[in-house]
Amino acid sequence: MRIRIDEERCEGHGRCWETAPDLVEDDDRGRGVVRDPDAPVAPEHEAQARQAANVCPERAVILDP
Amino acid sequence: MTYGAVVTSEEAARIAYERSACPREFFAQRRADGSVEQLSPNDVMLLRRVDVEHALKHWEDYSSDFAGIMGSEEPIIPLNVDPPLHVKYRRLLDPYFAPKKMAALQPAVQRHTNDLIDAFVDQGHCDFSAEIAVPLPCSTFLSLFGLPLDELDDLVRWKDIMIRPQSVEPDAEKALALQAATAKEIYGRFAVEMADRRANPRDDLISHLTHAEIDGEHLTDSEVLRTCFLMLSAGLDTVTVSLQCIFSYLLEHDDARRMLVAEPGSEVNLIEELLRWETPVQAVARRATHDIELDDGTVIPAGTQVSIGIASANVDPDGLPGADTADVRRGDLRNYAFGGGPHRCLGSNLARMELRTVVRTWHDRIPEYSLAPGAEMVWNSSLLRGVDHLPLVWPTEGTR
Repeated sequence: MRIRIDEERCEGHGRCWETAPDLVEDDDRGRGVVRDPDAPVAPEHEAQARQAANVCPERAVILDP
Repeated sequence: MTYGAVVTSEEAARIAYERSACPREFFAQRRADGSVEQLSPNDVMLLRRVDVEHALKHWEDYSSDFAGIMGSEEPIIPLNVDPPLHVKYRRLLDPYFAPKKMAALQPAVQRHTNDLIDAFVDQGHCDFSAEIAVPLPCSTFLSLFGLPLDELDDLVRWKDIMIRPQSVEPDAEKALALQAATAKEIYGRFAVEMADRRANPRDDLISHLTHAEIDGEHLTDSEVLRTCFLMLSAGLDTVTVSLQCIFSYLLEHDDARRMLVAEPGSEVNLIEELLRWETPVQAVARRATHDIELDDGTVIPAGTQVSIGIASANVDPDGLPGADTADVRRGDLRNYAFGGGPHRCLGSNLARMELRTVVRTWHDRIPEYSLAPGAEMVWNSSLLRGVDHLPLVWPTEGTR
């Protein structure tokens, strides 16, 4: 699994980096930035990734298989 | 319909009360009846999750570009501006309300919360609304703006007139006149502060606004004032009613209260779920830019005032199973408590910080509390739904 953020959809709700702090950090506007976009999500962080995708009101957090 | 609107008929007042007091039941019934609720001949509320999601996202269909909110003659910034100009304002303002900035402000909010609790903790009772929910966001606002705390009473009066003018002046016509006069008074007050900060910049929001640039140009006086007006109109009662909603829920759900006491940190998910379930800010206002046909055939004529019913969408299970029940432990149901799309609440990080600080601090210091004997929770009749009086009691050293 990989995690990415669709910047066109993101409106800066800030829920992704709060629910998935090991995968996403916040920038100076409070928008989520994936820490390591090239790396697959570690198995122990997959639950975080799914929660971040679920809570995003804009559905901007995308999980690729 | 906007928050500062006045109510002129008994039927409208009854509906407004029902919507505030029993929102889940109210909106489930309305959604069963159709996709929109006709609030008045030129004013509809969108009810379904699918329509609300679309409307929040599509400013070209549902515009925010209109004036007249809460007595302000001019469009307030950035609420009543559409992209592309809106994007420029938000790029300027977002960093000032980013989580890192809010973390820096948190100790002041923590201190204010403790000071407020100090004043009544030993007496074993308080009115949570009057003694925490109203003053806390006002003191936060004064800190943000670099204004002295002794202006708190003025601030409370202003925001009451702006948001709910009929709480001060019951007559509808007089209420509107008072609201307009008060808006002018507020603009005048901010103009004085603005002139001072231009000459003597400090580390506060007005200084930031007076010295900020968009495309190499400073904001005009009018732009600075209209931004300040937004902060005042959007940043006070929203947090007040959110606190009232959260504590009303806790008073009726002892298991949730016990969870907060036993598990520091559990307030994060609880607050998210209750912002969704209670949706204190029930709708946000737009205007249809053209005739819009919903997928059930309903047509919203161009120029219609549209209230985006986020309170209804947040509990609409169609498209999000489980949305019609509450679970304060789960933190995974998306919600529009802070709106969405380009106009996502500018102060959402500030509000979350304030709510978490108050909920955590209260339960650390006053873990066992209940509604005062004989008291009732009476919901207001506002789209900013809350409870004006929450008399609470708790055991003290003498009574324990």
